[in-house]
Amino acid sequence: MEIIRNLTRRKLRNILTISGIVIGVLALVTMGAMAEKFNALLSGGATYFGSNVQVADSSGGAIGAFGGGLLTLDRVAALEKVDGVAAAFPDVSVTAKPGSTNTVSFGIPDYISNLDPRANDYSAFKLHIAQGRDLNPNATGEVVLGSDFATEFKKNVGNTIDLPIRAKDAPPDFVNHTFSVVGILAKTQTAPDTGAYVSLADSQMLLKETLPASIRNSIDTTKLVNGATVYGKPGVDLDKLADKINAEVPGVKATKPSVIVASFNSGSAIFTAITTGAALIALVVGGLSVINTMLMAVTERVREIGLKKAVGAKVGHILREYLLEAMLIGGIGGGIGLLLGWGLTSLINAATASSNLTLFLLTWRLVIVAVLFSVGLGAVAGIIPALRASRMDPVRALRAA
Amino acid sequence: MASIELHDLIKHYKQGATTVKAVDGISLTIEAGEFVSIVGRSGSGKTTTLDLLGLLLRPTSGQIMLDGMDTGKLRDGARADLRGKKIGFVFQDFNLLPGLNAIENVMLPLRYHKDGKDGKARAAALLDEVGLKDRMRHRPDEMSGGEKQRVAIARSLINRPSLVLGDEPTGEVDSETSQQIVALMRRMNRERGVTFILVTHDTDVAAQTDRLIRLKDGKVLSDVRSTPDQKFLSGADLQGVVA
Repeated sequence: MEIIRNLTRRKLRNILTISGIVIGVLALVTMGAMAEKFNALLSGGATYFGSNVQVADSSGGAIGAFGGGLLTLDRVAALEKVDGVAAAFPDVSVTAKPGSTNTVSFGIPDYISNLDPRANDYSAFKLHIAQGRDLNPNATGEVVLGSDFATEFKKNVGNTIDLPIRAKDAPPDFVNHTFSVVGILAKTQTAPDTGAYVSLADSQMLLKETLPASIRNSIDTTKLVNGATVYGKPGVDLDKLADKINAEVPGVKATKPSVIVASFNSGSAIFTAITTGAALIALVVGGLSVINTMLMAVTERVREIGLKKAVGAKVGHILREYLLEAMLIGGIGGGIGLLLGWGLTSLINAATASSNLTLFLLTWRLVIVAVLFSVGLGAVAGIIPALRASRMDPVRALRAA
Repeated sequence: MASIELHDLIKHYKQGATTVKAVDGISLTIEAGEFVSIVGRSGSGKTTTLDLLGLLLRPTSGQIMLDGMDTGKLRDGARADLRGKKIGFVFQDFNLLPGLNAIENVMLPLRYHKDGKDGKARAAALLDEVGLKDRMRHRPDEMSGGEKQRVAIARSLINRPSLVLGDEPTGEVDSETSQQIVALMRRMNRERGVTFILVTHDTDVAAQTDRLIRLKDGKVLSDVRSTPDQKFLSGADLQGVVA
């Protein structure tokens, strides 16, 4: 009780000090929530791409689904014959908003892809249906939406959606098709959230429409895919399997999963560094102001400390009182900073949801870190003032002017 | 039993090149329940003596026996414990905690030495005894000097000490209030059998005690008791004796 009243004795000073911690923790929470969002995005990718081998046309990029040359379906069939391969799934992917000017995004732009629910049996990254049902891989006109995709266009199971999405300035020859929403995926915080999933046949139809009109009708798109995802049999080393595919199947390029995972992890490390940086700034700014405030408090209360010692307080008693006061300053600042951070990240997430952008993910882990951090900061910053108070000579303290 | 025994107590300070002999060989015995004043000019060693008696200072040499216990052998923690249990303090400028109200101030020593579960009731009873029944929830800045000192007296008695040390306890109040404060301490001394030792340069205060110890240059100059048929003279008459 006395500690709380002590804080109110120098209101302005303590409000300023607490504000310093609020700002520090606010920075920690917002930067941390951003890092958590990106770490979730990247760790989902690392889990997914670490459990399969991505195969593209030999001229294409590492991840078949995101660009590169086209592969023919007979190549996919050939992949399944390689020893050690459990299953190979064709991948077709097109952008969901063709011609949209919003092509640079902080997350993964909306996309339309084929989905074979059977891939879930092999992948380490599991997709779960939150609403409705799985896609029927043989049906046409059905779509399962990722959770952010569904939120962005306000779709529920039973609604219809025209895909691809028509841009405001779409050319007159723009075509899209009506799909019925049969399912919505549970939120994953990573790539599937911004996807719309259709059957292979539908995805190939959409792929065909992206091709220039001159060649569109001269090739059989039902045989074309962007790439393939290959799952190994249990116990098969996927890096070695990638080498084997490259050696045995002509015209394809398989990328070792370790290469893709390493690139995800290096991205994750950068965001962890950002969080740590924010925490360090909070530590320096908040900590110094707590030290300053507590030293002033100790100086002002020299006689009180002397009196407490005279009436029987030991070194440990005084130490504890001043440490608790510093921790309370840290805890109050941390609590307010956390609330503000939660409010701010929620507001920004809500404001950007309509443009399919999720910037922040406030995890429990981050909440606990922020609370422990702010209280711990107070404790560490309080050590020097508390030691000074507790070691005071009672005679001098009592007679101090 | 003797409350306090001092044997050849010496406290010397180094101040630059010179040694200040603040207390220079004091031997005294004060019995339990005595009401004593220690007087002397500033620099006579009376404050240092009080700090030594209160276990706030360690002597350079010599012995302080408190209720038969040799305090010299105790470590700092044990001395703090002993202060909390056996010694009460009343200071010139009250030294109440501004953040606490009257009853919380009285209970402060209990924070460091819990003495039974009835602390709050005892604190309330003490405040009642010192005449502050209606002021229990008031903060120090809402009280007069005399009221503050009565809170301090209640605080000094909360742990049922055997000894209360007063350091110029009437230095900050007017003479009428001063009379009331000393009378209150005298009453507590009689009713509870607590030893009171008051360091003062106020001759009116000294005149009301039973025993007057005069210090000069760190030594005992005189040590006289009043008897039932021969009280100390009034403050004005004592002037020459003290000064």
